[in-house]
Amino acid sequence: MTVVIGFEGSANKIGVGIVRDGEVLSNPRRTYITPPGQGFLPSETAKHHRSVILTVLREALQQAGLKPADIDCVAYTKGPGMGAPLVTVALVARTVAQLWGKPLLGVNHCIGHIEMGRLITHANNPTVLYVSGGNTQVIAYSERRYRIFGETLDIAVGNCLDRFARVIKISNDPSPGYNIEQMAKRGSKYVELPYTVKGMDVSFSGILSYIEEAAHKMLSSGQCTAEDLCFSLQETLFAMLVEITERAMAHCNSQEVLIVGGVGCNLRLQEMMGVMCKERGARLFATDERFCIDNGVMIAQAGWEMFRSGHVTELSDSWITQRYRTDEVEVTWRD
Amino acid sequence: MLDGGTEYDIIRDKFRALDVAFPSAREASIAFQSLSPDREPRRGGATKELHAAGSTLSVRWTAEEARILRVSVGSFLDHLALVLETMIEFGPPVAQ
Repeated sequence: MTVVIGFEGSANKIGVGIVRDGEVLSNPRRTYITPPGQGFLPSETAKHHRSVILTVLREALQQAGLKPADIDCVAYTKGPGMGAPLVTVALVARTVAQLWGKPLLGVNHCIGHIEMGRLITHANNPTVLYVSGGNTQVIAYSERRYRIFGETLDIAVGNCLDRFARVIKISNDPSPGYNIEQMAKRGSKYVELPYTVKGMDVSFSGILSYIEEAAHKMLSSGQCTAEDLCFSLQETLFAMLVEITERAMAHCNSQEVLIVGGVGCNLRLQEMMGVMCKERGARLFATDERFCIDNGVMIAQAGWEMFRSGHVTELSDSWITQRYRTDEVEVTWRD
Repeated sequence: MLDGGTEYDIIRDKFRALDVAFPSAREASIAFQSLSPDREPRRGGATKELHAAGSTLSVRWTAEEARILRVSVGSFLDHLALVLETMIEFGPPVAQ
């Protein structure tokens, strides 16, 4: 049996999770929530993580019913993400690894999402749509790498949604994306927005500028409601994501789609992707907010795969990195 | 009026140092290994050197600007405090 504890804190969530051979033993998490109209900044986010990380770690051990001696490996997020929060989490991971005499393992955050999704859904070799506040990528596995077939040319889809939420002062609790999703259900009028798919890639910054500019004018003149804008933005963004995912599937002859990342728990996105999959005779795999949104177990699970195939990270190589592409990691644990 | 160059001249090439005493060499070494891997952000020309000798962790800074030195020392003290808290809560270190 191999037990791995994972530490994640690359953005505004801080989580510690424990897995034992594919079984999730615990996965506590906290979210740094900012007031409406405000995003989360690196130093404040790091401060938040610092104030709760030891409590979350204690919870993870208690809920799993384990002692430090039962753990085989300490995994943490090496990157990509925001520097200050990443350092905060890495400091604790390094320290406990040494106190407990366990090997340390730096994990790529994106690989964490993919391996978590594969574990929970049992998708075998899916085309992966990874959509979050910091990343938008269409990924497929080939010859020991998770290869990026398409990605955003500017901001991430979740960033586009979050920033739109700030413009019209939608609450960040529990998350701006969740609140947009609920409001969109009550929208009825479709406002046409730019649609920017460029080959395999997508671009969201132009759509954001357009809707930022138009929102207040349209709302104050009564042309449409905030709910209509939420609805229109979701439909446009998600249609673009479904299009590039379908193109990657056709390219790879894939019959499986796995959606991961925080935006992946949006049920409207899952529904639209499901329609496309049905038309192609493909299967859709998705997870709920426990595993879609950043969490400790995703790092533990990717760490478990890596550790079992012989990886460890020396302390001197355990520096964090804000940029770390998915395809930089050699996937030694898959055929 | 003082210009930026004056401050620069006062501080340049002078180092600020800090010694932190630990209960044993083992804890000093753990703190050293936890705090060393991340490089100082390159902008601003601050450098930070860590050494562990016996049960003492020593830090030495050089900086071209007082402002940068303050930021570097401040963030180091935050990091050190987190490592110490982690040690108190999840230590003592297992026998090697």
